[in-house]
Amino acid sequence: MYLEHLELAHFRNYDSLALDFSPQTNVLIGENAQGKTNLLEAVYVLSLARSHRTNDDKSLIQWGHDFAKLSGVIQRRVGRLPLEIVLSHKGKRAKINHLEQKRLSQYVGQFNVILFAPEDLGLVKGSPAGRRRFIDMEFGQINHQYLYNITQYRSILRQRNLYLRSLQRHQAKDLVYLEVLSDQLSGFGAEIIWARKNFLQQMSEYANAQQQQITQQREQLIFNYQTVLPTAEIQSSEQLYQYLKEQYQKQQKRELQQGTTALGPHRDDVSFIVNDKNVQTFGSQGQQRTVALSLKLAEIEMMKAQTGETPVLLLDDVLSELDDLRQTHLLQTIHNRVQTFLTTTSLDGVARDIIGQPTTFTVSSGKVIH
Amino acid sequence: MQYPEAIAKLIESYMKLPGIGSKTATRLAFFTIDMDEEDVKEFAESLLAAKRDLHYCSICGNITDEDPCEICRDANRDQSKILVVEQPKDIMALEKMNDYQGLYHVLHGVLSPMDGKGPEDLNIAPLIKRLQKSEVNEVIIATNASPEGESTAMYLARLIKPAGIKVTRLAHGLSVGSDIEYADEMTLQRAVEGRQEM
Repeated sequence: MYLEHLELAHFRNYDSLALDFSPQTNVLIGENAQGKTNLLEAVYVLSLARSHRTNDDKSLIQWGHDFAKLSGVIQRRVGRLPLEIVLSHKGKRAKINHLEQKRLSQYVGQFNVILFAPEDLGLVKGSPAGRRRFIDMEFGQINHQYLYNITQYRSILRQRNLYLRSLQRHQAKDLVYLEVLSDQLSGFGAEIIWARKNFLQQMSEYANAQQQQITQQREQLIFNYQTVLPTAEIQSSEQLYQYLKEQYQKQQKRELQQGTTALGPHRDDVSFIVNDKNVQTFGSQGQQRTVALSLKLAEIEMMKAQTGETPVLLLDDVLSELDDLRQTHLLQTIHNRVQTFLTTTSLDGVARDIIGQPTTFTVSSGKVIH
Repeated sequence: MQYPEAIAKLIESYMKLPGIGSKTATRLAFFTIDMDEEDVKEFAESLLAAKRDLHYCSICGNITDEDPCEICRDANRDQSKILVVEQPKDIMALEKMNDYQGLYHVLHGVLSPMDGKGPEDLNIAPLIKRLQKSEVNEVIIATNASPEGESTAMYLARLIKPAGIKVTRLAHGLSVGSDIEYADEMTLQRAVEGRQEM
């Protein structure tokens, strides 16, 4: 799929804007603080109905205005589809094919984008929480059931932690209620762990294929899912549920002492193993970047396999962060296959011979010149 | 300029009601000033009377002006079933159905440590006592389909089942007269899980 046309009104520093894009590479070029990333953000908002930079929708509205409007036309295998998002101080409204959608969850999923920003390069060596967020966001986009289980799990976990704390302080004493909470937590926890296991397995294969290509078969990438799941013995989420329940019983004494939930998918992590070594601790910075790149490219393949459409790729200032070899691989992989928006301050040093003649847009203080 | 004290106090009182903010409270306060004195008197008296005359039924926890409440006093009702709800207003909704003939029990909330509600803060101990000296053979749990409603239901089941009393839970699924195409995934999943043989 690709974004054919975009119109903005009162969005960030854009008062009014209408642009037609190429189905291949679109380069947004300009000095810093002129609005390149704002334009990428607009494409992101049109896809996911929220920004990747802020949780406060009001900050997306141009200063001194009541609303911001984003509309676009996407082209899919089955035809064209107009999309529209209006953000106002009262909330947001989303339209598919001019029809207003009652729920944003119905809107999200029509137009898929993948964002690659410099922060993503830190995914490998960053915190486990960052990696969990990454899995939850990617998987949540393609699987609504997973998203539901995660929300329920978090809410029960909060209740359970609070209750453990009051048991620890002897403000409560009923252990039957603790068992009930453990049961509920095990139920959603088992579904989440099982889904993550399958998802990571699939994603690991796609990422390994990318890693091998980038390194000319020199590196093998394997994901190692770290969770409470004991390997092999457990064959279904039902068995896992029983296992988790037992674990909570065994850990009860410890949990009562510490006043917090000791195990579950909220403690999960994933490590990346290249040629039998954990990249997080033993890899060079270059290797960590290669893994981050393989991950992002694997996402494109995953999404294509799940939805049947190639997503749109947003590259926010990452080319300058990659060396020639990785840059070349990235550009070769997406060339002629994936519609790409990339921001940069200059095209010097970008492998021009691969992208050929990209469609360039010059961005300068809220104006865009084709 | 500030509001005279009488109005300010009235606004503040209205703001204690749920769902009423300062704007609505101000509007209601000024409306009250324009009302007939008779109407205002009646209004104030009904507020006081509601507080004075209504209390919770000592058996089931429902709101009533006589103790025990109308339902608990009714010997014609089926004494072998108790339906457990979160709030008195849930009884009203269920009574509209005109089909259920058993008794009720009101918990006055659900288990939620976040809101400071543990097992001893709900009307649970009286329910267990009630079951010990009665002929009840089925407890129907009708808490809401929220995570907290579920934990409360599971908790009650664990307490009651060992006594050999049947514990049931209301069905989840599609609402009557609704279209499948408009139902969300979670509702549909529950409905498929709870399907019945024809």
